[in-house]
Amino acid sequence: MKILKYVMRFFLSLKTTVLLLALLLALFFVGAFVMPADEAFQLLHSIPLFEWLGEQPPSVTWWLWGCIGILAVLTLNTLFCSAESLIKKRKADQWIMIISPQIVHIGFLFMLLAHLLSSLGAFKSFGIADEGGVLTLPDGGVFEISAINVSEDAKGYIVDWSVNVDFKAGGAEKKDVLLPNKPFFERGIGIYVRDVRAYPSKEVLLEVSREPGTLWALIGGVLFMIGIIALVAFKMKRDYPVLRR
Amino acid sequence: MPMAYAACVLYLLSLWKRPFLYLGLAVQVAYIVSRGLELGRLPLIGPHDTLIFLSACVAAFSVPFGIALKKYPVFHKGVSAAAVIFVVAGVLSKQQNAPLPPVLKTLWFELHVVSAFLSYALFGIGAIIGLLYLKEKDDAIEGVQYRSLLVGYCLFSLSMIFGGVWAYLAWGTYWLWTPKELWTSIVWVFYSLYLHARFTKQWSGRPSSVLGVAGFAVVIFTYLGVSLLMKSSHTF
Repeated sequence: MKILKYVMRFFLSLKTTVLLLALLLALFFVGAFVMPADEAFQLLHSIPLFEWLGEQPPSVTWWLWGCIGILAVLTLNTLFCSAESLIKKRKADQWIMIISPQIVHIGFLFMLLAHLLSSLGAFKSFGIADEGGVLTLPDGGVFEISAINVSEDAKGYIVDWSVNVDFKAGGAEKKDVLLPNKPFFERGIGIYVRDVRAYPSKEVLLEVSREPGTLWALIGGVLFMIGIIALVAFKMKRDYPVLRR
Repeated sequence: MPMAYAACVLYLLSLWKRPFLYLGLAVQVAYIVSRGLELGRLPLIGPHDTLIFLSACVAAFSVPFGIALKKYPVFHKGVSAAAVIFVVAGVLSKQQNAPLPPVLKTLWFELHVVSAFLSYALFGIGAIIGLLYLKEKDDAIEGVQYRSLLVGYCLFSLSMIFGGVWAYLAWGTYWLWTPKELWTSIVWVFYSLYLHARFTKQWSGRPSSVLGVAGFAVVIFTYLGVSLLMKSSHTF
């Protein structure tokens, strides 16, 4: 019983939050100097985090494991504190305003969930294709580059591009145009044009990727935004009573 | 460019008389608008344009915070000094006049960059107010510093979210493992730590105010140090 009380006190404490954030910060600082110095981190862009962590020696990854451990404890701390706070505030006026810090915290937890899902199940693959080139997706869908259009200025800078594509899967056909910041999405998979070359022949570097955490990251981001804007509005309203009129 | 030089001189003069700060800000806004019209895009690429935008934001944000701190004219001296440093550094940096790469032609980029620099300016204002608090020891000043850093944190978080949406649309992931992203997380965790620590007995008052001042050093390293010294998605 005494241990349970101690555990509850630990997870319900703001001091725990401060301690965990300070530890996380310290590990991020270490990582910020370890990461650029070690080539192993170049691979981290192409495989899920946990797969990469399993392949690398602990001498390279210890600080990332430490961050993951701290984030796990921070998640529990956030859940405990948010639950306690919501229970205490349930009868207050201006409920949405009052619980805005908890909305921020829930948004933060969704973002952590998104990173966890992507760290476990992200997928990324690259390939070069020219006009008429065909890419077969893991589920059998066929993606064909029908045209690569490149606009250059007088100095030869590529100022714009577009790529016309045909997608065929299960007897259905779909035409689309890929643009900068406009990829092609199909059944949870995104196809991106990462680079375009006009000479000596028109070619594109394609990326096929899946980020399982995207939806949760978006939900988390929206909740975080709503919460933090409400929090700022609440603080300003409370501190500047003249704004209430 | 003459307008940027004029803004330098006016900010320098504002160390003597405050109205020169507003005059400097007006000239600087005119310079930013003229650069935008000349380039046909938001002039926020590379150290020249971003430093000039940052100094203008610091000067602009000093207006509302100056009202709350009107008892302390030294606040404006701090703002003027910061504006001079940033605008001189901007003028000494090379302009980037090349057309925008196609991937940067999106509203997400504009939202990401503008909110980032607005937040940097508020973190800077928060650091100046923090120094003022450490000198004057008036708790009301610490409250103003908190508001500045809270709004800065809000804008910084928005910038990270906009950046994540943009990165997902451009590169298929909302998170890139580069030094810039890691340092951005350091800034975010640092101010999260400040916002939480301030409510504990041990950290309230002077210690949290010092944190608020130190945070700006991390911001400046993340903005300039990482972009200039390390290879990342944000290299100048």
